[in-house]
Amino acid sequence: MKPESAIKAPGLKMSNFFKNKSIYIFPAILVAVISMLLLSRPSAEAADEYNCLLCHKHRKMGRIDQNGKRWNYNVDEILYNHSVHRSVECPDCHTYITKIPHDPVTQKVNCGNQCHIKPPFAQKDFSHDKIIDIYNHSAHGIRPEDSEALKNAKPYCKYCHLNPIYIPLYEEPGIYKQTLQRCFNCHPQRGVIQAYRHITHRLRKKTSRSPQEIVHICATCHKNEELMKKLHLSEIGVTAVKTYYQSIHGKLVQLGSHKAADCISCHASNALHDIYKKENPRATIYKDNIEKTCHQCHKETSSYFIKIAVHPSEEHSENPIIYLVSIFFRVVLYAAVLSMVGHMLFETFGRRKHGIRFFFRDGTSWRKRSRRRSKKEKKQAE
Amino acid sequence: MTAFAKVFSKMIEIGARQKAEAAEYYTHVEGVGPVPRDIYKHVKSDPLGDLPRYSPHIVIQHFLVFITFIFLAATGLPIYFSDQFWAQYFVSLFGGIDVARRIHRICAFIMMFAAAYHIITIVGGTLRKIRHHEFDYKRTQLPRLKDLFDLIHDIKYFLGRAPYRPKMEKFMYKQKAHYLAIIWGNFVLIAAGSALLFPDVMAKLFPETLGKIIPLGGAGVESYSAFFQDLARLMHADEAVMALILLAFWHWTNVHVVPGRFPIQWAFLTGKITREHQIEEHFLEYLHNLREIPEEREYMKNLLKELGIDGSKAVSAVDPNGSLAQEADPAAGEKA
Repeated sequence: MKPESAIKAPGLKMSNFFKNKSIYIFPAILVAVISMLLLSRPSAEAADEYNCLLCHKHRKMGRIDQNGKRWNYNVDEILYNHSVHRSVECPDCHTYITKIPHDPVTQKVNCGNQCHIKPPFAQKDFSHDKIIDIYNHSAHGIRPEDSEALKNAKPYCKYCHLNPIYIPLYEEPGIYKQTLQRCFNCHPQRGVIQAYRHITHRLRKKTSRSPQEIVHICATCHKNEELMKKLHLSEIGVTAVKTYYQSIHGKLVQLGSHKAADCISCHASNALHDIYKKENPRATIYKDNIEKTCHQCHKETSSYFIKIAVHPSEEHSENPIIYLVSIFFRVVLYAAVLSMVGHMLFETFGRRKHGIRFFFRDGTSWRKRSRRRSKKEKKQAE
Repeated sequence: MTAFAKVFSKMIEIGARQKAEAAEYYTHVEGVGPVPRDIYKHVKSDPLGDLPRYSPHIVIQHFLVFITFIFLAATGLPIYFSDQFWAQYFVSLFGGIDVARRIHRICAFIMMFAAAYHIITIVGGTLRKIRHHEFDYKRTQLPRLKDLFDLIHDIKYFLGRAPYRPKMEKFMYKQKAHYLAIIWGNFVLIAAGSALLFPDVMAKLFPETLGKIIPLGGAGVESYSAFFQDLARLMHADEAVMALILLAFWHWTNVHVVPGRFPIQWAFLTGKITREHQIEEHFLEYLHNLREIPEEREYMKNLLKELGIDGSKAVSAVDPNGSLAQEADPAAGEKA
């Protein structure tokens, strides 16, 4: 018996079995498909006990009112099932609907309603009324002494909080202790830490939205300088969005950074809705509170540091020396570029006339006869 | 008054002597013979360079600055022009703005290292030269009055009013201006950049130290920090944009595109300058080369012999307006 034939024989050895890869492709696919089926998330169940989606699931559900405005009453089930309110039943917020089919809706949703959801460790049903209370005291809250225009311009819950822009988050661990205040805004204090430490990413950052979204939301009103002027905001308040984008914070947020400060980072505490004018002692940007506010990110704050402009302006009226320096730089720039490039062109012209060629080859670039005329030749020409 | 008159007359004398020297067509070099001013039209040059100009240290420093500057500009520009549509794409090249900022800082530190390395090289080299009694301030980057005269002379040459370019040292007026601009730019960019990177430290440093020197009292001192931060924000960006524009439109063109250097000048890698370039723009440095390098002396001696120029002819054939090409080189006409 020759040893070669033994090797060539197609035996049923385990080593040969694994060398033939096509054999175990099928079971591999089977295992992959089964594991995919097992691991895939089942669709969240709708809290649709009252069968509202029977009608509202239809895409074209809506009407055109007397003014020609189109209203869309469609509710996207998938989108809703992935929103924060997925466990809240429709009538918990739309309390005025008591029968189906319901009458035309005239009321608006009140976010301060108690819904039939009990938070962990709590006796009472859940409600947003604590945060609404904070909000009503802030600069955005409507006050009786406000003018009619100001009352109409002030945003309310739904203006900023729209469920469809609920998106997953960039997470940064380690800062949840300061941001627990976000939970206390709505939930009773007892047991919150244990219950929420492991289950929510919202604890890890001040806001659940990206800085880009925050700036976008605030800018929808605040970038309108005419409106802000009409509502008698301070001078810096009118141009706030424009000057913010000139600061390094704004530039970085515009370029997609998640670390840079947005509006909320400086203008609200961890209660988030307590935005006050800077004359108010409760404001985060009140002159005694600024240092603490900056200290959230900048570790070495001082009474000098807080004077640095967060909304910088290069306007002539506000900062004359800076304006002059910028003018000086512009003049120097144009003078330097024009004179140096001009000198270079002039030099090229003069040297070309003396017989130099552009390409350096044949060991020399002075391959042409000079086109200059000497004094003798000039005299002869005359 | 008499002292002033003395200085003034001395200046006129120096000016007149320089003018006479610049107009001289032949320069007599010991062991070589009379070197005509327009000999650069007849020499053979290697594109990679013939004569030493930069030491390996300088080449390395230039290379470091060159690479880091490109990265600094690419990561810094989108931050300055953050509202432009292309800023996003630029930033995404580096994997997001947070990474781009980090690259910007790393490159800035490498550039600062290159600057420190350069200072050490220059100071060390100067000390060594002083010890060997070889130091000559004319061969350094120090600006002189002659540079101004050279500029005027050069413009005359470009207009066709002067027969040849001025006889210049190792660094001509253009290079000196550029070098001074780099020193100024580095100072501004480093100072303003560190104010942007460490706003808290700078805010403490500037008003406290400055407040002691120029006392404004009370709130005035504290508003210094705001002023300096605004100034740093402005100067860092403006200086950088100016540097970028000058490098892109002047330095690169001036070095690689102008006649005789196109398509590329290899000096930034080899550290050597071509012979015709050295004679045309740095004639006085070439005379130093002739004295210092025996091979170059031999080459020039043979070339002059080939062209039929010797000591006896030099005395009789001084013609500032005449060109050597018309008199002594029949091959020049064929080439053209």
